[in-house]
Amino acid sequence: MTDAPIPAQRPRGIRLLTAGLMLLASHLAFAHDAIPRLPNGKPDFSGIWQTLTPADDDLEPHAARKDAPPSAGVIEGKFIPYLPQALAQKKKNFEARETADPRTKGWTLGVPRGIYYPEPFQIFQRPRDLKLVFQFGHTVRTIHTNQTEHPDVIGDLLSGDSRGRWDGDTLVVDARNFTDQTWLDRAGNFHSSDLHVVERWTYLDANTVEYKATLEDPQVYSRPWTLGVILHRHREKDFQLIEDYRFTLDFDQYYPPKRDKN
Amino acid sequence: MTDRTLTRSRPRNAALLLASACLLATGAAHAQSAPPQPAAAAPVVDKSIPKIPAGPWQGPRLPDGQPDVTGFWGPAFGSYLNLTDPEGISTGERQRNLPPREQRAPSRVSDPADGQVPYQPWARAKVQEYQTYYANPIKPEYVDPLARCAPPGIPQALYMHGHEIYQYPGYVVFLFDQGTRIIHLDNKPQLPDNIKLWNGDSRGRWEGNTLVVSVANYNGKSKFGRSGEFVSENVKIEERYTFDTNGKRYNYEARITDPTVLTRPFTVTVPIRKYTEADKPRPVVYAVREAKHAGKDAIIEYAEERACIEFNSGHAHLPSAAK
Repeated sequence: MTDAPIPAQRPRGIRLLTAGLMLLASHLAFAHDAIPRLPNGKPDFSGIWQTLTPADDDLEPHAARKDAPPSAGVIEGKFIPYLPQALAQKKKNFEARETADPRTKGWTLGVPRGIYYPEPFQIFQRPRDLKLVFQFGHTVRTIHTNQTEHPDVIGDLLSGDSRGRWDGDTLVVDARNFTDQTWLDRAGNFHSSDLHVVERWTYLDANTVEYKATLEDPQVYSRPWTLGVILHRHREKDFQLIEDYRFTLDFDQYYPPKRDKN
Repeated sequence: MTDRTLTRSRPRNAALLLASACLLATGAAHAQSAPPQPAAAAPVVDKSIPKIPAGPWQGPRLPDGQPDVTGFWGPAFGSYLNLTDPEGISTGERQRNLPPREQRAPSRVSDPADGQVPYQPWARAKVQEYQTYYANPIKPEYVDPLARCAPPGIPQALYMHGHEIYQYPGYVVFLFDQGTRIIHLDNKPQLPDNIKLWNGDSRGRWEGNTLVVSVANYNGKSKFGRSGEFVSENVKIEERYTFDTNGKRYNYEARITDPTVLTRPFTVTVPIRKYTEADKPRPVVYAVREAKHAGKDAIIEYAEERACIEFNSGHAHLPSAAK
């Protein structure tokens, strides 16, 4: 045996390696593309989702405090660009947060808070719309994806009116017609009824969605600003939503009638 | 159009919702406050329960194989106020002349044959007590949970206002005016028994044209109407939704078993009709509007936030609702 066959084998080895790398790359590409899709080819966000980010405690960067773990925040540019008067209101909200937060009354969380509140929500999707059912309050929000527009005449809604369109594989949602009765988090960050939200929902992989929301509200903010969280699919066996009608807890002991003891 | 103004503002919406719920009651009262006329004066409405035999589904199917029953539905007649006399006097309402009982819609209690809930004596006494104090609720337990914005529960949700059925692979979802039910079709185990819910925990399966649903974990807190019938948190409910292949009707049947309050099981039957683009929108029952879009075909969409409703804002829970 000579050394000759060895260099002869090496190119073969390299070829195999290259082929392997190419396979791996195409597999990765395939994996990247293997997100759930509806029969019409659009990404299918059906499933039960929740963020790990403690965004609901406080969207802005903050050190640990008794009612919130520390967090670097979820805002591009770190802080909400409040107008001076609005910043004063936010500080008042913060001081009163223990009782003034609509969450403590069990009210609908609104947009975008429902998305990053620390309870799961379930998306049911058809080509014409997405229904988001939130465990907290069992609220339902509809995102229309059938090329319809915001109605001309519409009231102020806790979850607004949401119209979605597809930008490639990203679902872009325009939401408006809000009330001023919801907050953005437990720290008193807020908006007015002029709130306008543009959401972008994008799969990172089959079980992970990047969620971004740009908030515009000329009564409260000096410019539009953007927050972002990652949503994870619940994959625990038999996981399901369990309705959380928290606002009923103050009176549910009165029902049903009980047999008198005697 | 009143159905459009309804949607103008949420607080007003909630107030109007309450108003319209009251209208449902007083409207019925008003319509019949004149001396009772033989049925000639009123449009003839078929009050019978249509015969829809359980059998194979001959109608359209969804891609996942489920019978396609998606859409807007609502009770064919009667109000939710009175369980056993759907066109009778509601609790708390003043006395008025009514057509004879046999001309009014039949009791929703289809078994036993007398149309009454087979209560144990103590439970019947509780129902009577609730009726006595309904208009003057001197204790919190005499306030209808509905008035506190709680879900109407099972089976009341099926005959209160209208509802929408959505279907997805593995699920049938009901959107009621107050409350949502997610029926799981995958036979996953029901929740641990100590978890009690306003809408219960439902498992369903399709048997031909019939959706068969088993309800557990029900909290028994909702009433069956202003008439105050109730069950306990130990109740088990078996539901059968039998759909007519023509897509226009379904019959709802709930077999209710509860040894805590009943002497024997009983059955509630509700005939339900479909609402389509051909129907005029109606507040809460069929609260839809034409969606705005560039195309030519009419697209119908739900017009109101399910306010009081899904979530709690409550008839008067939001400070601005009182304005």
